[in-house]
Amino acid sequence: MTLVPALIGLALLLAVTVAIGAFVQWRQGRPRRDIPHEVVQPARLGADALGQTATLLQFSTDLCSRCPGVHRTLAAAADARDGVLHLDIDVTHRPDIAKHFHILQTPTTLVLDRDGAVQTRFGGIPNRDVLELELNRLTAEPANV
Amino acid sequence: MSDRADAGTPRGIDPRGPRFAAGITALLLLVDVLLGLTGLSTQRSGDASFGWFAYQPLADATFRPGGGWAIQSATLAQRALDPAFLLLVLLALLFLWGLLAPRTAPWGVLYRTLVQPRLKPPTELEDPRPPRFAQGVGLVVVTIGLVLHLAGVPWALPIAAAAAFVAAFLNAVFGLCLGCQLYLLLQRAGIVGRARPTAA
Repeated sequence: MTLVPALIGLALLLAVTVAIGAFVQWRQGRPRRDIPHEVVQPARLGADALGQTATLLQFSTDLCSRCPGVHRTLAAAADARDGVLHLDIDVTHRPDIAKHFHILQTPTTLVLDRDGAVQTRFGGIPNRDVLELELNRLTAEPANV
Repeated sequence: MSDRADAGTPRGIDPRGPRFAAGITALLLLVDVLLGLTGLSTQRSGDASFGWFAYQPLADATFRPGGGWAIQSATLAQRALDPAFLLLVLLALLFLWGLLAPRTAPWGVLYRTLVQPRLKPPTELEDPRPPRFAQGVGLVVVTIGLVLHLAGVPWALPIAAAAAFVAAFLNAVFGLCLGCQLYLLLQRAGIVGRARPTAA
């Protein structure tokens, strides 16, 4: 291969990489609502109870560079509101949990409502503002929904 | 279950360090892809512009006019002396260094001595294990390319270098750690991380 096609190949590689990165970053932090609204049993996760109005259910692993930062964000968001609980589940040695919730990346965060039903799913780093909106929505909901 | 409070304690590292190192690695890998695309790996054996056997093509048993790849008829020494191969060996050794002794790895030392003093202190520290695991993933990818190249597989070297480049570039520019994402998938498939009993 001569230099010119090689440089074109290099430019293509660079463009594709930037596109992948931009796409992944754009998708990260966006909430997904088209998910099964399964009711989570806290005992199966090793937790005592869920939050009274909402639960932030975070899944982490040992080798996850972004998990501690997300942990701090979610803990702060939960602390700022009454009845919101933050649970951080380490799935490093619990592939059964990872499989059950179809977790392909960490951190993954599920937002549960007062009944423990999964309402929203965040893959990657949740956007703080979107997260606050979700919590507002769940806190404002009447208790019988 | 909020039991990860220990993950940001003084044992942590500045997360910008691995990203700085990934930037240099990505640049070197990009150069290597260029060397691979212009070098022996993608050379057709019909090309007379840059062929060692052009002076006696018919003496070569594996020569196919116009078809075939130059690397298939090159000797092991010729494959090993390809500039792209040599640079990728160097990068593999750097990955190995980062895996075995991350604290003394050259780009990390360069970051801590030259770059970090000029920056503000990090707002948060990071667990050193994820970037170290990612070095291992990089080493595996690059080694596959090196072995296939030595075995005479065309395109193996630039493709492996390109794959490693994508991962390093995403880490440097977007802060995405593909190797770390891979860990969960490998672990779910039962390939890593099952040393301890599953009942945690």
